Amino acid sequence: MAWTYLVFAGFFEMIGVTMINVLHKKRNVFSLIGLLLGFGMSFLFLSLAMKTLAMGTAYAVWTGIGATGATILGMVFYGEPVEKKRVFFIFLIIAATVGLKIYE
Amino acid sequence: MSVSWIKVFIAGMFEILWVIGLKHAHDFWTWTGTVIAIAICFYLLVMAGEDLPVGTVYAVFVGIGTTGTVLSEIIFFNEPFKVIKIFLIFVLLIGIMGLKLVTEDKEHEGANS
Repeated sequence: MAWTYLVFAGFFEMIGVTMINVLHKKRNVFSLIGLLLGFGMSFLFLSLAMKTLAMGTAYAVWTGIGATGATILGMVFYGEPVEKKRVFFIFLIIAATVGLKIYE
Repeated sequence: MSVSWIKVFIAGMFEILWVIGLKHAHDFWTWTGTVIAIAICFYLLVMAGEDLPVGTVYAVFVGIGTTGTVLSEIIFFNEPFKVIKIFLIFVLLIGIMGLKLVTEDKEHEGANS
């Protein structure tokens, strides 16, 4: 269950990080609420995941999901280029995460 | 070394504090401290992002956060030092930082707008 919580936490972190970028462009209440809500849910799920997972593992996987998600979102919705370098780093993140999951 | 970079480093320190808080907070005061640490952390980060490239800021910040949580877990909370686990976390960190820094290259032209 801890890993499911982590996936949720990573997903909400993605939303939070996206809202940081939105907030830089549009300084309004809605961007701020979106940011607070995204990160709030993210922290809640991260905290639940860390009840059983080690702190370092949970934290690294959490940021990994957030970063990968944000990049894939950028590629799919904002036409950011699908470069070999990016695909390689995403592969690294996924491989390390799967490794950590197996190792736990 | 600009003031903004100092903000990034202090934000990283608060990041370590709130991650510890999320795992170990157990009463009203420790949870309050955790929430305050989160608020300070993100305030500093958003401020730093005002005049530094966001991708680079985030890469450095995550580097501090990951290293800090792994180390403090071993030093303060008696987590055993497992080479395979540390290695995997390190690989994950390279992936995250790489992703953020590569993205920065593409956004750089518009980053200072």
